[in-house]
Amino acid sequence: MKTKKIVIDPITRIEGHLRAEVEVDENGVVQDAFVSGQLFRGIEIILKNRDPRDAGLLAGRICGVCTNSHFRAAVTSVEDAYSLKLPKNAEIIRDLMAMALFIQDHVVHFYHLHALDFVDVVSALSADAKLTSKEAHKYHERPFRNSHTHYEATLEKLGNFVKAGKLGPFSNGYWGHSYYKLTPEQNLIMISHYLEALKFQTNISKAVAIFGGKTPHPQSIVVGGITSVADMLNPQRLNDYLFIIKEAKDFIDRAYLPDAKLLAIAYRDEIKAGVGRANGNFLSVGGYEFDDRKLFCDGVIHNHDFENIEDFDDSKITEEIDRAWYKDEPLENAIDYTDLNEDGSLKTAKNDDKYSWIKAPRYDGKVMETGPLARVIISYKRKNSLINSFVDEFLEDTDLELIDLSTTVGRNAARAIETGYICEYIFKLVSNLIQNIKYYDTDTWVKFDFEKLEKEAKGRAFLEVPRGTLSHFVKIKDAKIENFSVIAPTTWNATPKNFDGVRGAYEEALVGLKIQDTSKPLEVLRVLHSFDPCLACAVHVINSHGKELSNYKIKTIL
Amino acid sequence: MRIVIVGGGIAAVYLANNLKKQNSHLEITVLSDEKYPPYDRIHLCRLVDGSESIDGIALQLDPMVKLELNQKINKIDKESKRVFSDSAMFHYDKLIIATGSLPISLFNIDEISNVAVFRSADDCELIKNSVDGREVVIVGSGPIGLELLETLNEMENVSNITLLLRGKHLYNKHLSIDSIKTIENCYTNGGKIRISYEDEIVDKVIQDGEITLLKTKKLNIENPFLIFGTGIKPNIEDFRETFECNKGILTNLYMQSDDENIYAVGECAEVKKFDFVAGHVKECTTQADCAISHILQRELKEFELEISIDMLKVGEFDLVEVNSPKFTDEYEKILITSKKEGRIDEYFVNEDKLTRFIGINSNVDVGYIETLINSGEKVDINYLYENRLIGERGRLICSCEHTYHQDLVDIVTQTGIASFGELSNFSEAGRVCGRCKVMVQDVIRDSQHLIDPNMPRKTPEDIKREKEIAEVQKRLDKFNTLNPRNELTSENLESAMESLDIAKSEVNSWISMVTANMQLHPNFEQVIEGAICNLNKVPIVWLELSDCSGNSEAFIKSANPAIEDLIFDYISLDYHELLMSASGDQSESILEDIIENQKGEYILIVEGAVPMAMDGKYLRIGSKGETGIELLQKCAKDAALVLAVGSCALDGGIVAAEPNPTGAVGVSEALKRDDIINLPGCPTNPTNIVGTLLSYVMFEELPALDKFNRPLWAYEGRVHDNCERRGHYELGEFVQEWGDDGAKKGFCLFEMGCKGPYANVNCPTMKFNQGTSWPVQAGHGCMACTEKGFVDKFANERKYEEDESNEN
Repeated sequence: MKTKKIVIDPITRIEGHLRAEVEVDENGVVQDAFVSGQLFRGIEIILKNRDPRDAGLLAGRICGVCTNSHFRAAVTSVEDAYSLKLPKNAEIIRDLMAMALFIQDHVVHFYHLHALDFVDVVSALSADAKLTSKEAHKYHERPFRNSHTHYEATLEKLGNFVKAGKLGPFSNGYWGHSYYKLTPEQNLIMISHYLEALKFQTNISKAVAIFGGKTPHPQSIVVGGITSVADMLNPQRLNDYLFIIKEAKDFIDRAYLPDAKLLAIAYRDEIKAGVGRANGNFLSVGGYEFDDRKLFCDGVIHNHDFENIEDFDDSKITEEIDRAWYKDEPLENAIDYTDLNEDGSLKTAKNDDKYSWIKAPRYDGKVMETGPLARVIISYKRKNSLINSFVDEFLEDTDLELIDLSTTVGRNAARAIETGYICEYIFKLVSNLIQNIKYYDTDTWVKFDFEKLEKEAKGRAFLEVPRGTLSHFVKIKDAKIENFSVIAPTTWNATPKNFDGVRGAYEEALVGLKIQDTSKPLEVLRVLHSFDPCLACAVHVINSHGKELSNYKIKTIL
Repeated sequence: MRIVIVGGGIAAVYLANNLKKQNSHLEITVLSDEKYPPYDRIHLCRLVDGSESIDGIALQLDPMVKLELNQKINKIDKESKRVFSDSAMFHYDKLIIATGSLPISLFNIDEISNVAVFRSADDCELIKNSVDGREVVIVGSGPIGLELLETLNEMENVSNITLLLRGKHLYNKHLSIDSIKTIENCYTNGGKIRISYEDEIVDKVIQDGEITLLKTKKLNIENPFLIFGTGIKPNIEDFRETFECNKGILTNLYMQSDDENIYAVGECAEVKKFDFVAGHVKECTTQADCAISHILQRELKEFELEISIDMLKVGEFDLVEVNSPKFTDEYEKILITSKKEGRIDEYFVNEDKLTRFIGINSNVDVGYIETLINSGEKVDINYLYENRLIGERGRLICSCEHTYHQDLVDIVTQTGIASFGELSNFSEAGRVCGRCKVMVQDVIRDSQHLIDPNMPRKTPEDIKREKEIAEVQKRLDKFNTLNPRNELTSENLESAMESLDIAKSEVNSWISMVTANMQLHPNFEQVIEGAICNLNKVPIVWLELSDCSGNSEAFIKSANPAIEDLIFDYISLDYHELLMSASGDQSESILEDIIENQKGEYILIVEGAVPMAMDGKYLRIGSKGETGIELLQKCAKDAALVLAVGSCALDGGIVAAEPNPTGAVGVSEALKRDDIINLPGCPTNPTNIVGTLLSYVMFEELPALDKFNRPLWAYEGRVHDNCERRGHYELGEFVQEWGDDGAKKGFCLFEMGCKGPYANVNCPTMKFNQGTSWPVQAGHGCMACTEKGFVDKFANERKYEEDESNEN
């Protein structure tokens, strides 16, 4: 069969530099896909030979979007190496920052990075304000900012953009593409919330900054604890945090979740057709403890077999570099780059062509999908009573089944469900903190003498972060970092193939997709965006012992 | 350095004062051959009619300048660098000849008591004391002659005056008959004055050193008092042998004579290149500035011919003349006259271009005429006609400062000043050449009744600020006309805000914050609001290179609530991969369009480092796989401005930290350009980005920068100096370990490795996330992320000195 290759670069509305190349047949159906990370920085090479206590500040710079996540993971891996047990307060404060980041990240992803794949801005212009208000009531009894005067004002504003010929970030979109299915009124609801969400993400960021000093790139986590003890002990700061979350919850309940339902209903056919479904291998390491339970359960699912969930076993993680631009040599010589073809496309013709800066992590030799979808399914199937009502309600309202979530639109549904769920339980975390402080536990740092710690140690951290499972591995020798390794959520999801040719989640989700107009590959964007790609996170050099990450296992953590 | 200035007129005084002002260590001596301290010849008429004493027209000489009177220099010894008078000798390192000019008389008048020239205070004294009961005869009708004529006409003890003219014209031979008649009528209406054209003295009878009868071609005049106003010549007779001379002492464009240590300035000098001898005060001061720049070797300034403006106000008419150095006799003339108003505008045109303008009782805006001459544009006659009556600001009063009648009235009513002396706080009008001083005084006096005693009065600072704001406003208006593509105005700014439900107060608080942070006066707030509107018209391309998107993330969390909406309303963010809806080919075509079609108009913001190793292939963007450096070069080439945002864009930041695996550098180094504006930070506070953009839009130029090209307004203050915990530092109260009592109380974090003392940025006052916090408040301390090489130097929790000693 004759296939044609389409190159999409840059993929915008993501973090970082991602390229997608899809091979389509004469009907525009994707036969194979290659996704490639296009930037290499080498943060782990930079981390080498440094003081382990500096790992957090440097590794935090891996990503400015998942900023808090790498900061915490790097510090946690060092704490793990030294078997330092954190004071309860420090763990909660770190969780509070993480949870606020989840909310912010999911909302920004849904509205600002992804919505325009479903929402036709130009179509919204012909919406009727009153009908819009009515439409919104289908998804929530008290929709967010739903007066028709508000919609009229939004229309006027949009009209002004268009009249002035100044669409800014909306310029040159795929407006009018037949793949857009929403009615003008539904489009207007989404655009209105797009604008509201800009305000939202600014406000929710303050919650991170209260304990982090700033965001992106908070600065309050140190090996052994946190530094923002004065903020923690200030009732006004706690109060501010709670109020920000309370306001956020209002938006999540009355705008984000209803909008996710709106999409799920409008794009029902696409969901039922399984568009964007990947291999069905899901991974979650779980986490976020409170009241002796975990917010997320750990587990591994193969081939959508929801009934047989394995326990997560970190010794099964390996890294491959068959088709990533690395070779199995010491860090300094580990780069093995192959240039592009003359037409600017990647060299992918042969089974051993290398084509990405992303290395290939595998679990028990299998590709894995990680992220909100994996967390929601695993937690639901593990009968996490906290989350179940959220999932049930969503599936009921949209008349969907659990398997339907394993699609492009479903990934967004899972993300929205998770956000609602976090908003509900974040208050529990705060009340635990208050309880703890009330009983005169104000510790935020576990005392240690760095000079007296082991000179050689290994540690690792597994964390669920907004985009999925993040793991950091550190090996310390002579009180310096000898090796540092990172597997980020996008490393899992955007992995290149190996010699076996098995596609990772991104690539697999693209295969079978029908592209109507190959010059406007909106379909590809929609699938890729549903994973919330974060390329700065994803790209990490494999280190010389990268294939044997189980080496990093250490004596039992207390 | 010893500087000797020969001369006692305005050129000498201007030279002495300005030399002293620019270098107070200079030893300056002024040698005047008169018995009076320097005075302003412009106002000699006031001595004639006795309305002023010699003190009243004195020129202010810097008290630190040494003044020697009665020293007529008659010898210069170039070898030994000395000058001699009859009674003294002076050493110099640099000598400036500023002896001015001598009046021309038609015959030797030394022995005759009833003849005078009109050049010095002594001449005035003679005229004043001798005209009584005599028929005054003035020869010549140049500007000064006409002014004297007017003065004498007003004097009661003068009953008859005859103006004797060789030609058929008054004032200037290029004037039209209409103008000459108008001027003539003004003089002759009173009946005291008669004008005899095409006439000259042919004989005279002298008895006892006094002319008793003057015979002209047409008249016989008995008992006359004769005044020569026939012209002047450079006063250099004693130096003709010493220097290369033509009409005056020949100089180069720095007014340097053939001796490198001797300069000549003013009417005694002749600029060789142009055969030019000064005739106006303005030209003298310009020459003085050139000479000063050369003597002090500071910002050298060459003499250039400039447009001159002359004004003459006599009785019922006033005359204004704007003359280009390009004026020649070959002209055509456009006349617009109104008999009723006695108004005559004469435009001299050569090859469609205006070379001269003379107006009698004219309403035309002289500043406009000057611009028109300067521009060299073709004259549009219709336009001249249509604008014959404009001039809302009234007559031009001070041609040096371009101050109009209404400007002065405004100053008086706004500030309540009552005297010429007080005016100096607000305007230099009347002080540059001094010619219009009297007119300025008159305006101040005549507008006193307009002062509202209840009105708050403006200070000089207020006026100065208003001027600045007016300048900025001008720039914004210009910007508007240059960028008509977008139509967002302050009006639909408001409606846009309403539609987003942004409270006006929030915008205002943001504007106030930017104003305060840019260290502008609150009066600027309105202009900033205008600038925000205009910012929307500047296309912005935001490139992400080897980065983590942290600065983009920070940017969309812009400082004040609702103002993140800036990206849709106030900033035309046309290319930003994080936010734009288009991908792939569609996004690339947006970029191509901006780069191709908006050359020199768009602002490029770059986030991230530039990997240079492996031919830059560690980063590739776009379907053709352009490398980061290729894309950057392409985008930067025609950008109006390049902002490097974040620490990676400054010097590679984290990406370039040891061992710099990808050979990353900052934007400036990658482009090999030193005009890149750096806004480092990890991430950069969005307020600092927006503030810098606003300042570009408002002032066209960038704010002052430090040695790393960081805007001073954001990066001048040291974190340590403005830190909220500084008090604890002074008291020696330090956090000793994380979470200790000191940490709970907010003690100083210096012992915990805070790098505040090494960081320069406004974090302590600006803070992050709407002022929520900053790293020091969060108990961690600063890591100087705005400084070069911060990752290797400062990104840790140890005291910096320790770190250094460790390395050593």
